[in-house]
Amino acid sequence: MSSHDHEVEEVLPPTPGDRVITFLKRKDVVQSFVLGIFFTLVFVVLGRSFYPKWMPTIMSTDMKANEGLMVAFTYISAPVCGLVLGLATYTFLHRHKGDTPPEDGPGIRTNGAVVVVWTVVTSLFALTAILWGLVELNVGSEAAASEARTAMVVEVTGSQWVWTFKYPAQGIETHELNLPIDQPVIFDVISADVNHSFWPVQLGVKVDANRLATTVVHTTPTKLGAIDVKCAELCGLYHAYMETTGQIMTATDFNNWVTAQGGHVA
Amino acid sequence: MTTLEHQVGSHPIPNPQKSLITKLHMGTGLVVGAIFAFGTYYWLRSGQDMTVARNVNKVLLISMFMWSFGFMIGIGAFIGPFRWLIGKDLTAEEQLFLAGEGQGVSRYFRYCTDHKVVGIQYLVGVMAMLGVGGTLAMMIRTNLISPGSKFVTPVIYNSLVGLHGITMIVAMIVVSTGPFGNFILPIMIGARDMAFPRLNALSWWVLFTAIPVLCSAWFLGGIPTGWTAYAPLSVQAGPGMNAFVATIIIFAISTAVAGANITATVVTMRAKGMKWNRVPIFVIGATMSVALAIPAFPTFMVSMIMTALDRTAGTTYFDANFGGSGWLYAHLFWIMGHPEVYVILLPGVAILMEVAPVFVRKPLFSYNAAILGFAGISGLSVLVWAHHMYIAGWLPMLNGPFMVTTEMISIPTGLIFLVVLGTLWRGKPWMKLPMLSVYAFLWNMLIGGVTGVYLSDVPADNYLHGSMYVTAHFHYTLMGAALTGAIAGLAYWFPKMTGRMLHERAGYIAFWCTQIGFQILFLGMFISGAGGQPRRVADFAAVYRNSDRISTFGAYLVGIGMLTLLWAVVHSWIKGDIAPKNPWGAKTLEWTVPFPVPLENFDEAPIITSDPYGYGRSEK
Repeated sequence: MSSHDHEVEEVLPPTPGDRVITFLKRKDVVQSFVLGIFFTLVFVVLGRSFYPKWMPTIMSTDMKANEGLMVAFTYISAPVCGLVLGLATYTFLHRHKGDTPPEDGPGIRTNGAVVVVWTVVTSLFALTAILWGLVELNVGSEAAASEARTAMVVEVTGSQWVWTFKYPAQGIETHELNLPIDQPVIFDVISADVNHSFWPVQLGVKVDANRLATTVVHTTPTKLGAIDVKCAELCGLYHAYMETTGQIMTATDFNNWVTAQGGHVA
Repeated sequence: MTTLEHQVGSHPIPNPQKSLITKLHMGTGLVVGAIFAFGTYYWLRSGQDMTVARNVNKVLLISMFMWSFGFMIGIGAFIGPFRWLIGKDLTAEEQLFLAGEGQGVSRYFRYCTDHKVVGIQYLVGVMAMLGVGGTLAMMIRTNLISPGSKFVTPVIYNSLVGLHGITMIVAMIVVSTGPFGNFILPIMIGARDMAFPRLNALSWWVLFTAIPVLCSAWFLGGIPTGWTAYAPLSVQAGPGMNAFVATIIIFAISTAVAGANITATVVTMRAKGMKWNRVPIFVIGATMSVALAIPAFPTFMVSMIMTALDRTAGTTYFDANFGGSGWLYAHLFWIMGHPEVYVILLPGVAILMEVAPVFVRKPLFSYNAAILGFAGISGLSVLVWAHHMYIAGWLPMLNGPFMVTTEMISIPTGLIFLVVLGTLWRGKPWMKLPMLSVYAFLWNMLIGGVTGVYLSDVPADNYLHGSMYVTAHFHYTLMGAALTGAIAGLAYWFPKMTGRMLHERAGYIAFWCTQIGFQILFLGMFISGAGGQPRRVADFAAVYRNSDRISTFGAYLVGIGMLTLLWAVVHSWIKGDIAPKNPWGAKTLEWTVPFPVPLENFDEAPIITSDPYGYGRSEK
């Protein structure tokens, strides 16, 4: 809260510089500041640990970007949280005790400098978040454009309450989503009935399945292992059970699996 | 009610002879409503093939509307308009009777035009709705106590989710503007009553008729769609869906009437000298909220009328097989849905801004910033709806612009924080229940706001959308901030509304139980959601066992807290300590009137010379 300098009117030192220094030496300012730093650090630690700990294994480029973004956003918001909680905690610790109302505090009605600085700073934080998101969005769509040429297509159909995956180039249709590693993949998603939402969790992408309107989402698996496919849009009675699994495989394993399913290696 | 104005100060006991009005009350409303409903039902079904879903929907929907209409006839809502039709009006005595003069408790069960009676009716009604919604929440959490739990079947579970959602949304929309917007707001601005007292009674009783309709969903097979009622699932759904459709249409009428009434009251009936910069901040927040609801809810009503037509008349607005589109529904719904969350949030925040200066004994910091914050939020809130549809696929190229408008909301929200923190700064807050709520709000709104920034970001939302993380996020804003604000309002205005002090110790226990339980509940839900658990699932994978169990434990703690609050309210209302006229030493007008607040509130019309935040020693 470096912007509280105009409040120190009981002192009225000669120059603005002196006033800032006097302000910064005030006990309440120092204590709020220390509390603010403490809470900022708490949020930074939270950002570092919460999402990496609780989000599933990163198995695609998109999932990596998502997790990085959420950690970064926590860092960006940490100073804001620190400031708010620092000030709130300071006043809470210096609360009035007793059953009668406290005496009147200072009659501060407003402080132009504080309002302006606050608005500018929060706007800058918002702008950072906006720009960051727009850049990520753009990077994502550029990646999609460049990968589209080499991508493998999987046609996903959601129906109450089953996912069906059709691999047109391989000529197979299954209920488990197996994909080769490091191969860009495009999901063409559609619904046979009501709205569903196609969510291969560890791949970090999601798109709704609509009736008679194909939606597209793409990613590139980057890690071998099991994935979960869920439905993220309430679709009726067995919505909770509309899930299946799949494997991210090596190219050889994938081709073997395709052959075993009666398909042909593209 | 112009005829009342010249009778101020000397109310004769009204004696409207044998007027029909004196014989009508809630009981007659229930009887006539039931006759209309069941009469319509049996009359219509006799000529229909009731094995066809479309006919069942038609008969049920019409019966539900007839119930509402019949109830309003039975309670006497249309006597005045009918007299106008034949060129007459109610007599002055009948109007005084309608205002509830000298009727004791029975006026709470009548079509009463006194804004204070309507306020109490809303308060009790809202508490009942929150109780029902909360019980449903406890059942949801109980089913999620462990994977594979068989507490309820999936069909019941889906109904629990939908009914919990819609009950809470309806309750939360009126939780502050209903009780306090009707009871307190007119006194706060120095008015004798609302601008349209009969419409005021109408808005409450119309809302009342929606409650049995909503409850009937339970007996008609429930609703499988959640409160969002997405088409085409809602078109496919069973007869319980009709109850949902009818509830929303009836509710939209009620909010339109109430919104117009509160707005007109604040614009035209402020006391002499109460310029716009002297209006208490709660009045500003409540007015912006209801004004925002006026354009928002009609789209919900329209979407429900279209759903009803798809279900009964064979139209295909939302059926892609015949040229319709589910996206059309989603747009109509969210054009209402996003302003709606701010309709809920603004009055709660405004209450907290109203109480903070009183308990810190400092002026509200930067009144203008507060108004700018409210206005900025209201303005932006109508431009952000499609952030609920990032992954719907309707037009991905617009995701960027909607992300920008959504994240811009953090700027006016920042002003709200500035106003509250600026008011606290250098003050010594008096930690009564309303003040504690201000602190709870700061924390909860911070978490709700920051997680909202993640969700507003398209790439992050690609992962988080539709997960438990979203559920946790909006409970932090709607429950953690808006409901906390409403409870602060209850504790703050309880002495004025009931004449008694709220039981303090029980209030504190309720506060801490609820708030701590709330943090545990939704921390668990953030973990489940980040881990990939979709929302609205009756069952879940074993990896979420611990986080879901933590959530359920937290939910029970919230339940205990809310029951304690209920006990405190009931106990204090019956035999709490008698409240002094102005227990908090506040400067707004409602504390200048005695309890019970006389009909028409003021003996002498107040004249306003300053805003109500003139606390504090001068430093100059």
